[in-house]
Amino acid sequence: MSRTASPDPRPAAGPRPLPAGPSSADPGPGPRPLPAGPSSAEQAEPTAGTRSVVPAVATSALHKAFGRRIALHDLTLQVGAGEVFGFLGPNGAGKTTAMKILLGLVAPTGGQALIFGRPPTDPAARRRVGYLPEHFRFQEWATGTELLQFHGRLAGLGTAERAERIPELLERVGLAGRGGERVRRYSKGMTQRLGLALAILHRPDLVLLDEPTSALDPVGRRDVRELVRELAADGVTIFLNSHLLTEVEAVCDRVAIVNQGRVVASGPLDELAGPVVQLRLLLDRVDRDLLALVGRHGEVTRVEGTAVTLAVDTLDIAPDLATLLVRSGYRLFGLVPVQRSLEDIFVDLVGEVREQ
Amino acid sequence: MNVLVVARWTLLEARRRRLLLAGVVLSVAFVALFAVGFTLLYHSQERSLVDAQAQVTGPDSLGPRGELLALSTVLVVLGLYGVQFLAALLSLFLGAASVSPEVDSGALHAVLARPLRRLDYLLGRYLALVGLLTAYVVLMSGALLLTARIVAGYQAGDVTRAVGLMVLQIYILIAVSLLGSTVLPTLANGVVMLALFGLAWLGGIIAFIGTIPPGNELMANLGTAVSLLLPADAVWRGASYHVLPSSLVAASAFTDQAGPGLPFASTAPMAPAMLSWALAYPVACLSLAVAWFRRRDL
Repeated sequence: MSRTASPDPRPAAGPRPLPAGPSSADPGPGPRPLPAGPSSAEQAEPTAGTRSVVPAVATSALHKAFGRRIALHDLTLQVGAGEVFGFLGPNGAGKTTAMKILLGLVAPTGGQALIFGRPPTDPAARRRVGYLPEHFRFQEWATGTELLQFHGRLAGLGTAERAERIPELLERVGLAGRGGERVRRYSKGMTQRLGLALAILHRPDLVLLDEPTSALDPVGRRDVRELVRELAADGVTIFLNSHLLTEVEAVCDRVAIVNQGRVVASGPLDELAGPVVQLRLLLDRVDRDLLALVGRHGEVTRVEGTAVTLAVDTLDIAPDLATLLVRSGYRLFGLVPVQRSLEDIFVDLVGEVREQ
Repeated sequence: MNVLVVARWTLLEARRRRLLLAGVVLSVAFVALFAVGFTLLYHSQERSLVDAQAQVTGPDSLGPRGELLALSTVLVVLGLYGVQFLAALLSLFLGAASVSPEVDSGALHAVLARPLRRLDYLLGRYLALVGLLTAYVVLMSGALLLTARIVAGYQAGDVTRAVGLMVLQIYILIAVSLLGSTVLPTLANGVVMLALFGLAWLGGIIAFIGTIPPGNELMANLGTAVSLLLPADAVWRGASYHVLPSSLVAASAFTDQAGPGLPFASTAPMAPAMLSWALAYPVACLSLAVAWFRRRDL
């Protein structure tokens, strides 16, 4: 498949449909700086096979119950082609179930899921999809190369293509020279790397990664981040399930946070962080007077030792605040504007839901 | 196309798990044991009959030729019974191990996320196992029949039908255990399959007892009813009829001389209705397996 499609895959017409949730407003373009492409031409009617128009993933009111347990309540999501999408949530939030529905492995009890506009139960739709399962279990009696050959055949790669692609992939995921060994002898990290190779074997347009770094050491994690960035640069859509927030922060354009089968927030990372601006003050001491003093200029959100985090309306007050503190006899070591981290957002949202 | 990819993968698995090696070693041992036992028994019986004939002149009812033929028949039927029993157990185990272990371990997730229909996956698994066990049954029963022919000049009534029906039994057993494997966890399926197989065997015995003169229709019918549940033993009995030499069958010498015959072989051909059922059975099992597996959440 040619990769000549526009680098700006977002449908330019109108605001993107977004799932319901506290911060579902997502009016602006995503945070990823993308070179201007012929996007105006793409506002034309959606033609079949034009990856720029048909969303890579679209679910509406997806519902899944396993007996009495409801894994997904009402999942509505849309991931544009070329996006790097982070799907976040605590364990048991329904992330894996959602991913399995997108692969036709699990049938929803309600709602609809589409990949590139087709139902995932259609094998032709899955031809464009690569998948790394959460537990990355493969046939252990086979060698890495045999597994790649088998999956290559299933994905429709020809003999010559497989012969060229497999060694290249083993090299790319850091398994060069290990393809002849049985998967049984692989370490967990090696197996996960093999799983990544399997996921991108047939140059898919959409890659679903379910906790892709759970077994990897820090070097392996960095490798995966690089791999994701390379794929994204090639225009591949990435759907990343994770509860490792730093990872998601590092690679994703847009995230959705799910809890108990519902999307509780979604949008570009910087928008999720919200307009709330915080100032972190590093002082020589923190006492009641100080808290009262800074409390007049904002809301104290955290006190750690002699560091105070203050939510303020605008960063413009920073110089005056510094002057005020120094005049009141405090020694100021630092005054830094900070944005809420994904972890803060996550804990706020998931914690809120849990408390209900 | 994908069916063949999966079938090939299944054969590779059989090789990697040393199933092929174990199968070949055991089979060679089995055939060798049969050949040695058959030769020794046949020749010792032949000698004692020659001695007896030297003392007692005059033809007796069966004659030494007839007695030797009866002995060969019993040995060949026993040998083939062993072959079909081993093949049946292998079918049940391989069928039971074909789907559920991969579902349980999660190894199937990545495979079925490919553009592979679940129907093709099941058919590929089935084809490979059927191919393996057909080769097993044909080679083993061929070797046994050939041994009997060389040593004793034994001629089965209809080798093609005998082996064909033994192979049909394999198709039935793999299909039913594959069906079980899509529904039940591996161990539970193994237990259910062995119980079913035992029940079918018992059904055959009950039906056999029902045919012992003066005959008991209720028992015969009960046996048939059980055979409908799993027509494996019924098919084997059908095969065993074609193993008997035609002369023996025509004269009914075997049944007349040796009482009601062997409890695990049949002196009558398979009823056409049962044969039709046996032919439809694997198709029905596979259809059910596909219908169930397509809807199953993984």
